[in-house]
Amino acid sequence: MLDWLKNINKDYPDFWKDYLTKFETRPNKFVVLSTETSGLNPDKDVILSLGAFSVIDDSIVIKENFETVLLQYKYLQDNGLSNEFIIESKMMKMPEPDALEALVNFIGNSILVGHHINFDIEMLNAALERLDCGRLKNEALDVDVMYRKLTDINDKQFSLDDLCEIYKIPKSDRNSSSEDAYRIGLLFLKLKSRLGIK
Amino acid sequence: MNTVAEHIADFLKEYKPFDNLTFQELSDIATNIRVINLEKHAVLFQNNDPLHENFYVVASGVINLTTIADAEETILNKCHEGDIFGLRPFFAKNNYMMTAKAREESIIYAIPIAVFRPFVANNSDVLNFLLESFAVNSRHTKDSMNSNGKLVSDADYIDQQTEMQYIQSLNYNNSPLTTQSNSIIKDVAILMTDSMLDNIIICEKNHPIGIVTNADLSSKIATGRYPITETIDKIMSSPVVTVLENVSLAEAQLLMLKHNVTHLCVTKDGTSKSIVKGIISEHDLIVAQASNPGVLIKEIKRSQLPKDLKQIRDRLSDLIQNSIQKNIPISHVSNIASEINLAIIKRAVELSILDLGSPPARFAWLSIGSQGRKEQLLLTDQDSILIFEDVTPEKYREVKDYFLRLAKRTTSILEKVGYDYCPNGHMGSNMLWCKSLSDWTKQYNSWMNTPGENSNDLSSIFFDYEIVFGEAKIEEAIESVIFKNAVNNTLFFDFLGNDALKRNSPLSFFKKFITEEDGPHKDKFDIKTRALMPLIDGARLLILNANIKGIQNTYLRFKQLAITDSKNAEIYLSCAEAFLTLSKFRTVEGLKNDDSGQYINLREMSKSDKEKLKNALSPMKDLEELIKSKFQLTQFS
Repeated sequence: MLDWLKNINKDYPDFWKDYLTKFETRPNKFVVLSTETSGLNPDKDVILSLGAFSVIDDSIVIKENFETVLLQYKYLQDNGLSNEFIIESKMMKMPEPDALEALVNFIGNSILVGHHINFDIEMLNAALERLDCGRLKNEALDVDVMYRKLTDINDKQFSLDDLCEIYKIPKSDRNSSSEDAYRIGLLFLKLKSRLGIK
Repeated sequence: MNTVAEHIADFLKEYKPFDNLTFQELSDIATNIRVINLEKHAVLFQNNDPLHENFYVVASGVINLTTIADAEETILNKCHEGDIFGLRPFFAKNNYMMTAKAREESIIYAIPIAVFRPFVANNSDVLNFLLESFAVNSRHTKDSMNSNGKLVSDADYIDQQTEMQYIQSLNYNNSPLTTQSNSIIKDVAILMTDSMLDNIIICEKNHPIGIVTNADLSSKIATGRYPITETIDKIMSSPVVTVLENVSLAEAQLLMLKHNVTHLCVTKDGTSKSIVKGIISEHDLIVAQASNPGVLIKEIKRSQLPKDLKQIRDRLSDLIQNSIQKNIPISHVSNIASEINLAIIKRAVELSILDLGSPPARFAWLSIGSQGRKEQLLLTDQDSILIFEDVTPEKYREVKDYFLRLAKRTTSILEKVGYDYCPNGHMGSNMLWCKSLSDWTKQYNSWMNTPGENSNDLSSIFFDYEIVFGEAKIEEAIESVIFKNAVNNTLFFDFLGNDALKRNSPLSFFKKFITEEDGPHKDKFDIKTRALMPLIDGARLLILNANIKGIQNTYLRFKQLAITDSKNAEIYLSCAEAFLTLSKFRTVEGLKNDDSGQYINLREMSKSDKEKLKNALSPMKDLEELIKSKFQLTQFS
């Protein structure tokens, strides 16, 4: 039985093995994560860009960020979409496998925070499966759920823009995953202190 | 590449001192920033905390910088978007000297000092700005406000204490000891000891040439450097620092510090070549500071007994008297006086609550009438109302009972302080004027919509109110009821207008003062009802009609009306001036006789004062005409 487990382990890429070992210690930070995808179907759609920030000791650490545009030329070609966005963008560009490896290294064992984070995680898991990795093991917090818990509202969902309006976070004219991650980060700080999460 | 860091750099470059740096430098700084969210009232650092590794920039919201002295929080500065604070780690090693607290929910950028320091070292503009800001943030000198600094963005914090010091006069020894330069030291010392003074001025033809104080005696005589048989000019300090007669407290303080002396010699023209008028010692300054408004308010907050409050109120009278003698603008004096009155009433309510236990519901104690208008300079009668929030019917009796007891207690404390009970019973202790919010709303509705029907208990003073204690929301609720009812309410304005016009005119057809014909005040002029009330009523009527909220003071009302109704600006401005002149006459009279100053004794007045008084009455005619035409009133309506 143990041998079987080891065999499974051996098939994983090295960065994934590293990732798994990180869970032997307790998480010491939060990572706010936002993805931009081509659509809502984890099986067919792909991640176009990623943005993430660390939140340590009740503050967003701007330096500890991760943002990248994924080079999804194949997907765009297949679906007859323009790849102008990828070419125009000044952000760092990576092919999907590299980007996911870098992201997994970045998040480590931290607690993930996002807006409707389950969907982001599904998208990431689908992409990780293509790289012969397992599923993400991180704990995850959703700002929408946190807000609904705080206000005791159960019957509706709030978009990121709704929440930003409620907490008077200025909207940015430039829209990117990194922008979104920053806004989610601010929301998270506000909700966190209100809910008294340590 | 970090998009958000660039956004932050974009934000920073709008503000000093960051505008001196290049975008690349700012991006590098922004990359190292931490973003912090502070909930309302959250404390970022407080007095005596060890220094942080960062200084801070307000990204949104407002941060108050405060110090705590004498158990009282004083705001040093308010930091708005783009302002920097927490600069101490740049310049000092000791702990924080102030508290930074979020006044509303705020987002703060924490910039590590280690990252920023190289830019400071390489850029003298940045360094200078930080130094200036540090100085401004640590000391609250509003005159050091620099026009281009984003830091001192708030000028509305007025340090009344220092402000008052500039105008506060000093009492000092008007008959100082003087002697000739050839007097013998021993004789002089005996003279000083006999008259229990620690200083003596040496004069030559009545002009001061030197001064001898106890310090001179101990350092020059007791040490044996001079025998006591020498002449006094050997040991005197010379020249003497001389000042003009009406020197202010602040000026005297400055001069003493500047010349490092303990005594100032007052001369007729302020130079040493004129006659000696008096001597100001350090002790006089300390005494003067004791009746400083700031000190008075602090003492009010601490006092436990009505008798302490009374003593403070007496000192306020001294202060007012001094200020008026020194020709300080009466609007200024009444501002300060009303703050102190407010503090006294507030303390009276607090003392009653301490006695009776905490209130069963929220409430508001409003001053009405002159205190509500912030025009109470003299000890006049007290007018107040009490509004408590709505409670369930079964609790109503109990709650009302509590508040009646509270009001009775408060008014009796105030009576002991020296504010007489209102002869018309317009006080919170009266069953009629201690009601729940919905009852008050009904009351105002009926006053304003059906005036005249119940006119016997409608008094216009209910439309001048100021919250003293309790929930500000209750005052706002009443205010909105009044202004809602006032819109297009011709009937009500008719009523108020007639009320304002029915006062007896101050001057007869032949421009003589109309004086009281009989009673205890026979042959005196009733300045309150004949001169001040028409102006007060007129201002109230017009301001209600113009739907302008939040201005409760007659002088300011006229000023505001001059702005809104610019056609008649001239009338309004002359009314404003007249009001101040008349208030001053009344105050002077009141201080002279220790009463409310309602009746002026014309016989004791100089001819020029009488003329002045007459002139101040002339704008009233114009105001009357204005009201008549505005509200289409005739004398007979």
